[in-house]
Amino acid sequence: MKMEDMPLSGPDNTRLEALAHDIYSELVEDACLGLCFEVHRAVKQGYFFLDETDQESMKEFEIVDQPGVDIFGQVYNQWKNKECECPNCKRLIAASRFAPHLEKCLGMGRNSSRIANRRLASSNNMSKSESDQEDNDDLNDNDWSYGAEKKSEHLSDCISQNSPRRSKSLKHKNGYYETLGPDEVRSLLTTQCGVISEHTKKMCTRSQRCPQHTDEQRRAVRLFLLGPSAPTLPDADAVETDSFDIPDAQPLMSRLQWEDSDISPTDSASSKASTNHSDSRKPKKKKKPSLPLNSGGSSSQSNISISTKKKRPKLSAPPISSIYDDLP
Amino acid sequence: QVLSKMESRMRATINQKLTEMGERERLKEILRARLTECGWKDQMKAHCKEVIKEKGLEHVTVDDLVVEITPKGRALVPDSVKKDLLHRIRGFLAQHAT
Repeated sequence: MKMEDMPLSGPDNTRLEALAHDIYSELVEDACLGLCFEVHRAVKQGYFFLDETDQESMKEFEIVDQPGVDIFGQVYNQWKNKECECPNCKRLIAASRFAPHLEKCLGMGRNSSRIANRRLASSNNMSKSESDQEDNDDLNDNDWSYGAEKKSEHLSDCISQNSPRRSKSLKHKNGYYETLGPDEVRSLLTTQCGVISEHTKKMCTRSQRCPQHTDEQRRAVRLFLLGPSAPTLPDADAVETDSFDIPDAQPLMSRLQWEDSDISPTDSASSKASTNHSDSRKPKKKKKPSLPLNSGGSSSQSNISISTKKKRPKLSAPPISSIYDDLP
Repeated sequence: QVLSKMESRMRATINQKLTEMGERERLKEILRARLTECGWKDQMKAHCKEVIKEKGLEHVTVDDLVVEITPKGRALVPDSVKKDLLHRIRGFLAQHAT
């Protein structure tokens, strides 16, 4: 059949279709040939019948195709319907649920709401010894437990009541401040950064100058843990607190110009108002040396402008003016 | 069916393109994979075993196998595989045939 040189779409398609089929046939034949070569080689090399053994063994390991059983003939959900009696609550629990049930029932696993129960118990009884023991258990088992959602009142209760736990707490100084007595906390805070991590609720054990946290955070932590009358961060130069003088505006001024904003206006105002600076914060010295100060008002003015330049949002005008009111 | 010169030339061009562009090899691989998945290969192997047992392990030749396997093999290709291959081939032709 002779084809036209300028074919119409119809015959053209037919031609293409025939071509497609021819190509297909070629591919199939190629696959068949490939198989023949493969088999022939296996036969001549002697490995074609390797997967066959004697009839007996063949029968033994035949593929099993029955319901309820896998291809080896083993039952795979044998223990699904078995029940066990819980030694604690005496209930019959399904086998696959037994382990999680025990966890909850005995109050021992990670998800057993044990701390929640403890908190309820301690809030009912407010018994120190009770919470002592359970705290230790908690710490030993739970990586992520955090009892510090307790309000600060409870915390101050623990600290102020001369907790007998203090002697034990040395073992548990792993950053959970809730188990530490006030002395431990204080001593920790003099050597360590102490900033409490948001997710683990542990105190940072790095140095006072740890780059992960700001001095602002460190101050806030000390405030939180030790109360407003807490000692301040020790400075590197070991400046004496005892020499802190009210009439002398110098320390106050040096406070105003610290690198990081350490004092909130209310704090400085309140501490000033109480005129009780013997146990107030030591002047903190940060990485930058404090600016040289002359006593008197003129320098104070310049200091204020300096501090505002450093963008101290907390230092607003009113508290500063109240400080000056007391100056001689 | 005798093809015209033009058509022969066209076919030659297409076949050349198929090979040079690697499409032929790709199609071969696809076909081999599909035939294995659908069990065609195992079926054919089983048939081979019969032929071998018949002709004798030592004496069986490639030709024996080819003669026995090819017609049966061609017939036993599942329709889905055939359709898939044809579809791909047509696609190629649509793109590369003038």
